Amino acid sequence: MTYTFRGGLHIAEHKDTRNSPIEKMTPPAEIRIPLSRHIGDHCKSVVKVGDRVLRGQVIGEACGELGCPIHSSVSGIVKSIDRLAGEEAECVVIENDGEYELSPDIKPCEKKLTETTTQEIVEVIRNAGISGMGGASFPAWTKIQSAVGKAERLIVNCAESEPYVTANHRLMLERPVEIINGTKIILKALGLRSADIAVEDNKLDAVEKLAEKIGESKMIRIRVMRAKYPQGDERQLVYALTGKEVPKGKLPIDVGCIVFNAETCAAIYRAFAYGMPLIERIVTVSGDCVATPKNVLAPIGATYKSLIDYCGGLKKEPRKIIDGGPMMGTAQKDVNAPITKNTFSVLVLSEDTCASDDENYSCIRCGRCVSVCPMRLLPNYIVKFAEKGRYEDAEKYDTERCVECGLCAYSCPGRVPLMRFIREAKSAIFQRRSENRENSAEDVDVTL
Amino acid sequence: MNNEERRTEDRTRTVILSASPSPHIRHEDTTRSIMTDVIIALLPALVWGVICFGLRALAVVLLSVASSVAFEFAYQKIRKRRVTVGDFSAAVCGLLFGLTLPAAVPYFVPIVGAFLAIVVFKNLLGEIEKNFLNPALAARVVLSIFPGVMTTYTEPFRRLGIFASGEKIADTLSSATPLASLAEGNLPDIAWVDLITGKCGGAIGEVSSVLLIIGGLYLLIRRVITWHIPVSFIGSVLLFTALFPQNDDVVAFVFSEVFAGGLILAAFFMATDYATSPVTNVGRLVFGALCGILTVLIRYFIGIPEGVALAVLIMNLPVCYIDRFTRPRTFGSPKRSLI
Repeated sequence: MTYTFRGGLHIAEHKDTRNSPIEKMTPPAEIRIPLSRHIGDHCKSVVKVGDRVLRGQVIGEACGELGCPIHSSVSGIVKSIDRLAGEEAECVVIENDGEYELSPDIKPCEKKLTETTTQEIVEVIRNAGISGMGGASFPAWTKIQSAVGKAERLIVNCAESEPYVTANHRLMLERPVEIINGTKIILKALGLRSADIAVEDNKLDAVEKLAEKIGESKMIRIRVMRAKYPQGDERQLVYALTGKEVPKGKLPIDVGCIVFNAETCAAIYRAFAYGMPLIERIVTVSGDCVATPKNVLAPIGATYKSLIDYCGGLKKEPRKIIDGGPMMGTAQKDVNAPITKNTFSVLVLSEDTCASDDENYSCIRCGRCVSVCPMRLLPNYIVKFAEKGRYEDAEKYDTERCVECGLCAYSCPGRVPLMRFIREAKSAIFQRRSENRENSAEDVDVTL
Repeated sequence: MNNEERRTEDRTRTVILSASPSPHIRHEDTTRSIMTDVIIALLPALVWGVICFGLRALAVVLLSVASSVAFEFAYQKIRKRRVTVGDFSAAVCGLLFGLTLPAAVPYFVPIVGAFLAIVVFKNLLGEIEKNFLNPALAARVVLSIFPGVMTTYTEPFRRLGIFASGEKIADTLSSATPLASLAEGNLPDIAWVDLITGKCGGAIGEVSSVLLIIGGLYLLIRRVITWHIPVSFIGSVLLFTALFPQNDDVVAFVFSEVFAGGLILAAFFMATDYATSPVTNVGRLVFGALCGILTVLIRYFIGIPEGVALAVLIMNLPVCYIDRFTRPRTFGSPKRSLI
């Protein structure tokens, strides 16, 4: 049986790299590591310009509750610590000396898994700087710590429903054991007995591979999901597998579920088994402009350009360079910006492939946005209100519940920029709400 | 710097990268491709109409399409709007209107009808409230107020030439269409095969139910329409005529009610018009079912044979409210109690 959710759409896959084995790229001469891109406070730099750092050495210390340390992915000299244009956090630039000398701090966890406590596992994950590798980049240790006692079900997300992206697919085919062992470590930390690995039915070869490695073990079950975007969204994943809907403003843990990306699990395993911090990851480099699309094992901090060059450079004039998938990724202005822990793909798309911003749009009320919306909103009505600035009406139609999966704008034949209007409406609603809150706070002061 | 590096550098330096927000890709369907599908789906029925009623049928339909496009173009030029005839929606409107006409109508009818549909109903009234009335059906209903204009049905296979004279037309006029005899309480005197394949009198595009259903299935497969409106519309007509038959031969009566007249054309092509039908699936079911009930009520009690057009038009009015009341429960919101 295949599991699925309501709404959504199977998008033309373009998974051209599904048969491209993961290739370890030679790290470029220079690595740029921003001291934060993930959720929570920025890291504090613990190195100085001119220091020699080793591969796997901490260069940014975790700060705050959602902190996550960051490590150097090469050995070499710190060339500069500065702010990139438009970035809030500092960026450490390291000149790669080509030695790849490993930091002596890196050593496997001394205890056996069965003898470790939850707190010890959480420490290992925290020290390895592991944050969610599927997009949101939430620190893995916080997620586990806050889920202890609450989580009833662990779900490993291998859906990978964004077009083009095959990084998880290749990981499942080439290193299934890392995912399985990582899952077992999380299970141990949470005190749970079994986990579900969710894979879309367009990756049945990976299902076979995983099943073979899981063998007789009852601990891990594979769940085959219908290939449909956005199956990789954790709310839809939880719903498809358990029938539970994550309520407004809540997280999967509030319905007893905890979801980890496949590569995050693999990273947790490497941290536990080898002491390896998160300094490299699998990135799908694809798109119609890339000469030879590939899956690249790239060091964190390598620039987009170095990845594209590794894949033979460009064969067409690019229009967009996207960090992430074509549906939810972020278009980049600077090719010399680095990849981060949550960059699962770098796509270079030409004018022909990119959605153009057509100002001549008009809604024909075909209802496609309504039928594809996984949150079951009425996007066409939200846009109608947003166009006229009627944000109160937009709020009544649950605009703020939109997860920005982008399917409405993707499927609109009238070329209405639905996401633009919905984002506008969302920010207007949030702004109005915070203004109201301030006003009511003032009222309290007056009465006192 | 090796050659490959230079290649990236050069390309990215000369072009301006767009940083516009996601989604970065789009489905290939456009308004134009959807309208093209509707035209394709209607072609078999049109071809049959021409085989059945002669080249005059083709002339009537083409005149309707051409004047619709021309009126739309002229209106948008005069009001200094963006010209949208390229998305073929005006052409579809003209085609649908033309197909509801008898082949023998005077040539001014498709032109006046196109004017009413495009200028009056689609644009002028459409400016007050979008999705107001289905323009093709509204034009048809307005014109059928004038006696004798819309009832010039000719016998099948007595084809009319483009310049057929008034006498020739008068000679081929059919005594009664199947639906007209139903309205008088008699079962149509016609074999059931002839009724569904369209060997009978009627409007150019509505006679061949089989070809219309094939066209409708094409739209379903191409995902231009969903099944909800056609199924609930035809289903409710079927159900209500079966529950309250007006003839002792219930099966034959229900069969004729469903396949005689414009029900199939309306259920697949008119009631599913995007602008004038609900966007939610539950709303579409409600809309279709109410269209069906109204059709039967109009046929039974008002006695005009063509209840379908009026029923759909009446149901066009509350579309906005149907959407509102059938709005799906947002993912993760508490289940609503049914009050």
